[in-house]
Amino acid sequence: MTMSHNAVRSIFSFFFFLGRKARKTKVFFLISGLPVLVALIIQINRLFAPGSGIDGPAIFSSVIMAFNLQFLILVLALFYGTSICSEELEGKTLTYLTTRPAAKSAIILGKYAAYAAFLVLMVAAAVILSFLILNVERVLDLSAWLAMIKALGVLALGLMCYMAFFTLVGTFLKKSILFGLFFSFGWENVVQYFPGSTQKFTIMHYLKSLLPAASTGSAGKLSFLTFKLEPSSAGAAVATLVILTAVFLGLACLVFSKKEYIFED
Amino acid sequence: MTAVIQTKNLSKWYGNVLGLSDVSLEVEQGVTGLLGPNGAGKSTFLKLITGQIKPSIGHVAIQGQDVWNNYPLFGRIGFCPEQDAFYDEMTGWEFMTSLLSLYSFSRADVQSRAEKALDFVELAKDKDRLIRGYSRGMRQRLKLAQAVAHDPEIIILDEPLNGLDPLSKRKVIRLIKDYKEAGKTVIVSSHVLPEIEALTRTIILLHQGKILARGDIHYIRDLIDKHPHMISVKCSDPRRLASSLVGEPSVLNIQFGPAPDTVVFETQDRDKFFGLIPRLIVDHRIDVEEITSPDDNLQAVFDYLVGK
Repeated sequence: MTMSHNAVRSIFSFFFFLGRKARKTKVFFLISGLPVLVALIIQINRLFAPGSGIDGPAIFSSVIMAFNLQFLILVLALFYGTSICSEELEGKTLTYLTTRPAAKSAIILGKYAAYAAFLVLMVAAAVILSFLILNVERVLDLSAWLAMIKALGVLALGLMCYMAFFTLVGTFLKKSILFGLFFSFGWENVVQYFPGSTQKFTIMHYLKSLLPAASTGSAGKLSFLTFKLEPSSAGAAVATLVILTAVFLGLACLVFSKKEYIFED
Repeated sequence: MTAVIQTKNLSKWYGNVLGLSDVSLEVEQGVTGLLGPNGAGKSTFLKLITGQIKPSIGHVAIQGQDVWNNYPLFGRIGFCPEQDAFYDEMTGWEFMTSLLSLYSFSRADVQSRAEKALDFVELAKDKDRLIRGYSRGMRQRLKLAQAVAHDPEIIILDEPLNGLDPLSKRKVIRLIKDYKEAGKTVIVSSHVLPEIEALTRTIILLHQGKILARGDIHYIRDLIDKHPHMISVKCSDPRRLASSLVGEPSVLNIQFGPAPDTVVFETQDRDKFFGLIPRLIVDHRIDVEEITSPDDNLQAVFDYLVGK
């Protein structure tokens, strides 16, 4: 299966542009901005009620991270990952892509990269804004910035890995959203709390293994996120996430290249 | 002349539904019309030869190469699909340049080709509008533009004249004829016989997934002309028109209705009948609102040909 980098780049540009204009992107942009709104409310409350005991950095680490890690990236990955294939079939636009001199794997990889890129940018924008609002008094604190960048890295890795998985699911399953919801909020949200090595069968396990609380062993502000976590080492977690992403994408390309897609009339 | 497209025992099933059955043919340079009523297997055939679907049985090759997953070959093919589907959030210009960027053209070349194609289909002034706001005819023309913008050697058009106004139809017909003169291979599908007649003499008749006939359109025309035709005339004085045609040997039967100002003629010589009508209308000063052929559709003709 050979593929031209130019084709991947062209498909990337095509869908990076198109994905940003999609109606669902506007909806998810608003949803991803919710933490910014929460951060603003908290900060305004702190201004009017000084000494209320609300710790900005703690809220950023817990609420913002919990929302992004446990909910937002799963939902974004699910809706964009599965749509890589399904929206072309439902919209009957697949013909325009598969009758061009571009390998089918280039279509999958280019579209995946485009969606992953603007979703990471969308999440990053919301996280950075929330961080700035909640850490206004620590804006020159390098360690706070480093922690935020690490958190962003975890979210980006999670987004890419989940999206690769849902891209694969979308290539062969018609009701991929339904399956994805069960997977995201059933399997991933339950099995990650199982004791022993069973929790290693979830992607979330490796993401949480990269959180500061997991690596330092101190529960700290993210204690509820690392509840019952028996963390893998950071290196193993990153390697596993990267390998899983590559395997899911490779399989998605293979299925998409071999499978015949017929529009429903 | 060597075959550009070859199929051998080509068959396709969609589950238990037969799409195409045992089609073996060779398509040569020039324009070939693919004619058949809805559901005859035209689109299935075109999807098979453009590599969008896999044959269940048989083989399809373009210029001697297998089609399925042979994407470098697709640079030589232009395909206009039947379905009215687009990336509606894009403008016509964005759609064209995005698709052209999938070929190995330079940026300047992409832009000039997009401009040329949009200009040809008369969408240049609407190129910056969202496709969502395009009319059916504009969308049809845009589909055609994306099929020809990269100047392919083989052009495959699935019902390209659908939804076009008469002027646009004439222009597309002219374009297809120009492609023929340029030595290209064009396959055009339609369920409307006069459309295909205007384009080519070489046709393939498909019916229920099988080739019913192929060759020169005059042979098909002769078969069709043996089929009695119903011609309905809506006019100011249907009785007068009917009485003037009573003794005409080409008219087999005359019926009034269903509307009070309508008369339906049955004829076995359609060309002769259409030769007579204008003179009678002028001689008798009859105002004609509409002349239609209720059974002048391929399904009726095909039913006749297969002896239904």
